[in-house]
Amino acid sequence: MNSQSQRRKNFKIEAFKHKVELDPKYAERTWKVLEHAIHEIYNNNASRLSFEELYRSAYNMVLHKYGDKLYSGLVATMTAHLNKIAKSVESAQGGLFLEKLNHKWADHNKALQMIRDILMYMDRSYVPTSHKTPVHELGLNLWSDHIIHSPNIQARLQDTLLDLVQRERTGDVINRGLMRNITKMLMDLGSSVYQDDFEKPFLDVSACFYSGESQQFIECCDCGSYLKKAERRLNEEMERVSHYLDAKTEVKITSVVEREMIANHMQRLVHMDNSGLVNMLIDDKYDDLSRMYSLFKRVPEGLSTIRDVMTSYLRERGRVLVTDTERLKDPVEFVQCLLNEKDKHDKIISTAFNNDKTFQNALNSSFEYFINLNNRSPEFISLYLDDKLRKGLKGASEEEVEVVLDKVMMLFRYLQEKDVFEKYYKQHLAKRLLSGKTVSDDAERSMIVKLKTECGYQFTSKLEGMFTDMKTSEDTMLDFYAKQSAELGDGPTLAVQILTTGSWPTQPTAACNLPPEILTVCEKFRTYYLGTHSGRRLTWQTNMGTADIKATFGKGHKHELNVSTYQMCVLMLFNSADGLTYREIEQATEVPALDLKRCLQSLACVKGKNVLRKEPMSKDISEEDVFYFNDKFTSKFVKVKIGTVVAQKESEPEKQETRQRVEEDRKPQIEAAIVRIMKSRRVLDHNSIVAEVTKQLQSRFLPNPVVIKKRIESLIEREFLERDKADRKLYRYLA
Amino acid sequence: MANRDRVRFNVGGQLFETTSTTLANAGRESMLGALLDESWNPGQPEYFIDRNPACFSTLLDLLRTGALHIPSNVPEKLLYREALYYGLLDHVRGAKWGPFDGNTLRLADSVPGRAPGDGTAIRGAPDGGCCVAHGSVVHVYNWMLEERRPISLDYQQVNDVGYIDANSIVITARERLGKGDGGMAVFSAATGELRHRFRVEHGRQPKSFTAGALSLAGLDDHRIFSSCKGRLNEYGIGVWDHNTGQQVDFFYEHPGCSLGDADKLQWLPSKNCLMVATLFPRTDNCFIGLLDLRDKSIPWCWSDAGITMNLEDKRVLHAIAMEDGHSICVINQYDDLGFIDLRAGNTNSAGTGVRWSSRSKLMNQKVPYEESCYPKLATHNGQLFSCMNDSISVFSGSEHVLTSTLRRSYGGSICDFSIGGDRLFALHNEENVFDVWDSPPCPII
Repeated sequence: MNSQSQRRKNFKIEAFKHKVELDPKYAERTWKVLEHAIHEIYNNNASRLSFEELYRSAYNMVLHKYGDKLYSGLVATMTAHLNKIAKSVESAQGGLFLEKLNHKWADHNKALQMIRDILMYMDRSYVPTSHKTPVHELGLNLWSDHIIHSPNIQARLQDTLLDLVQRERTGDVINRGLMRNITKMLMDLGSSVYQDDFEKPFLDVSACFYSGESQQFIECCDCGSYLKKAERRLNEEMERVSHYLDAKTEVKITSVVEREMIANHMQRLVHMDNSGLVNMLIDDKYDDLSRMYSLFKRVPEGLSTIRDVMTSYLRERGRVLVTDTERLKDPVEFVQCLLNEKDKHDKIISTAFNNDKTFQNALNSSFEYFINLNNRSPEFISLYLDDKLRKGLKGASEEEVEVVLDKVMMLFRYLQEKDVFEKYYKQHLAKRLLSGKTVSDDAERSMIVKLKTECGYQFTSKLEGMFTDMKTSEDTMLDFYAKQSAELGDGPTLAVQILTTGSWPTQPTAACNLPPEILTVCEKFRTYYLGTHSGRRLTWQTNMGTADIKATFGKGHKHELNVSTYQMCVLMLFNSADGLTYREIEQATEVPALDLKRCLQSLACVKGKNVLRKEPMSKDISEEDVFYFNDKFTSKFVKVKIGTVVAQKESEPEKQETRQRVEEDRKPQIEAAIVRIMKSRRVLDHNSIVAEVTKQLQSRFLPNPVVIKKRIESLIEREFLERDKADRKLYRYLA
Repeated sequence: MANRDRVRFNVGGQLFETTSTTLANAGRESMLGALLDESWNPGQPEYFIDRNPACFSTLLDLLRTGALHIPSNVPEKLLYREALYYGLLDHVRGAKWGPFDGNTLRLADSVPGRAPGDGTAIRGAPDGGCCVAHGSVVHVYNWMLEERRPISLDYQQVNDVGYIDANSIVITARERLGKGDGGMAVFSAATGELRHRFRVEHGRQPKSFTAGALSLAGLDDHRIFSSCKGRLNEYGIGVWDHNTGQQVDFFYEHPGCSLGDADKLQWLPSKNCLMVATLFPRTDNCFIGLLDLRDKSIPWCWSDAGITMNLEDKRVLHAIAMEDGHSICVINQYDDLGFIDLRAGNTNSAGTGVRWSSRSKLMNQKVPYEESCYPKLATHNGQLFSCMNDSISVFSGSEHVLTSTLRRSYGGSICDFSIGGDRLFALHNEENVFDVWDSPPCPII
């Protein structure tokens, strides 16, 4: 036992003082092998190296905690090689500089890949835990530091690249492949290297270049060719980016070109004398306009610049158009002119301005602006329609009719005083219907439908009533003749149109004295009608009728005369007398003086239609004149239509009258709107009422605030509303 | 010509023949990929590699079949080391276990703890590693379950841990009175180094605080949330950018809604809200709420206020928002699951609104014995997991049917569990041992 314990005492177990480590010399030796390999790789002698051995060596160094030595050795070796490469690149002459750089860059990349291969284990285990840069990234960083940012290379590289771009811009052909390789290198080195060493100076130089060039262009080019040049430059830059620059540079360089060539000269371009935007619009230069649109679209405020100039041009042109007294003489021509103007600019917007909504709106607002400058526009538009529906559309196909009507509807939409249009339309429609002059029932109805969809049922209910009346009248007449033909014998044929009061724009005029032959038939019809419809009243509108009469002139010339009812009354007098004074005619017929003068004028003073002879001969009718049956009347036509001298347009007093009627009609509408609003809001201040009323009525007309105020006052008088006791600006609704 | 494709290796004296097609599976970023690259004079009759032939054989089979079979004579750790040499470690990890499914889980490993008791939390890493918060230290394990350098936040009591990514762990710790330490910080999982701390400022004054429960917003959202208790009643939820560590927001506690003591935070992307559950408040009542950080409102909340509690009453002990964002699942002391509908307005009325499923009655379970741990909940891919005592239940389908039970170690009841990197980690209370469960790779046919 003793001896055993003794032995135990002697036997000492020592703890390891050091971790078992690789022989430091071994580490040095291993590194030498790897260092040599790196040299060989840079010298393109890698074929003699064994990858497995090198990989294992690097693995062992990391495994045995010589990762630091390995990494710092790598940095030192690579740096030394890069410094050598820098020298060789620096010494390259002139144009060979880039070639050399590119060549060396390719070599370095290949070497870097191989070095990373053998150091893969270090990259995987040593680098992440010791906050080092991975080998590949390290190789790129060292390349940036020692080659790209070497003082002898940095500026030279930048100048060379910029010089090549400049040469290409001035028409030289450069080696784009080489250029692409070099910019690709800068991108590979990191976006900040590309940006700082190339992109920023490139953009600066470009800005300078284009600022100068645009100045030069703008001095010597017209707007169209300037835009062509700008567009070409823009395309060139985009092409350049696609060939040898970073895709992200595209927006930057194009914005430089846009700023220098377009944004800085926008005003000057659009206003250029003889070739600016207005001239392009006048001459329909679709290509130039389209180019301007697409270029200006690229810069802020660009499109609004075009739009503003176009709008003010349109407004001015429209204003001249609608106030041109020459044009006002012919309403049809006037409206046609507006339509042509609209077509022209619609086409410009659709072909050159990409159907841009904002441009369409600008066009519409311009039309709205100037159409309403002339308060006769509603009348003229109705007259245009009247012309079209009377004869203009004869022989046109259904589609063509629709196109015309749609165009007119578009103008109609611009009108603020839609109720005025309605008034005129009603008058014109009445005339067309009563005289049977309308070309096509379908076209008429189609127009009514359009108005209805635009303005609602209320707007067209009376117009539709007119159509119903026409149909009823036709049926009534058929029935009348079927039942009464025996009694009527061979007296004059009567055609009555029964018009509902209120639907038609009739003026209450005293009936003239009808000739007895006609009067008999009329009485028979009255008896018949009142017999079938009880509780109605018939009034004859002799001012609106027509008559066909047969007349025999000297030498047995027979003619059929198509005249108005008034004219017929006058002519019938000459059955029993050869000559009559104005006063005698007036007394016998009781036709209102103004109408009588017109009708005598058309019977006696129109060449070729003068079935009466006037003494003394003169153009105008005076109350002292005497009229004779013109025995010598001849005409090559059997049927002679004797029109009444009527102004197609309204005369000034008539216009005043219509205007007054419109104003009168507006009153109840404004009052109704006020009451509607107040009923729901109970209490409202004056300005809000005016705003709301305007809003409610603007689809029909623009009410005048003064008129609204008057209507409010009238409503207060009639105790629909009252003023608030405390606040005089407030109105209260009285239920 | 067919020989062109053939490659011969002499690995540690043993000959292998394979094809370059097979080796291509290793990828260019591996040692074998580089070896055969054209820059390194390929086409030699034979490549010599000075490594272990048995491991090479296993790895070659992995490249051939995509499946990993480790022969009994090859120690796993050795194989991992060899895989690292060849740059094939990720291949090995990918083949070691399959996609996660709660119903196919097998016990992969049990890792003994460092000290008994006191385990606070376990979290699975996105790559299959994990970390265990134990007292004032966090033990970190890589996916091979090797322990790395432990990390600590000045040896404060750790409250919660979480992975920002496989290599970044965030820790919240209790403040030590008078020291101005504690708080919250990010560490490197690999080296245990401190990356940065998260600070709290109130009125531009930096303050010390105790950080509690953690939640991360998600993949593209860099926000991280934590419940915070400050010295001067500065209670609430702090919000930081986890990349920069900058505080971006602070949600101060509203009266009646305790946030600074919250036990569970969960970001709900579909609602753009943060769920906060305070289940063990010092005073007041249980509170679960959704916070809208944009307008600092609480669009939805639930509380058990107003219920007179006695011991038999069901208490909500853990809560988790379901993945569809329509409901919150809760659990009580009898292992009953309950659901609160998030879509039905403000169900503030006294603990009603929980739809309990009475599993306890069905299973005739006893009232849990003393010293047990509170139950916890987790969700993954539509499956719901709950731990109670020493087992984990897996519920599947929209009706949450119990489909599997996981029970294994002898370390007492489970105090926390976590799912991450297609693995489930369960931490046991007594021995601090943790079990690792994963699903096997796809079967052969």
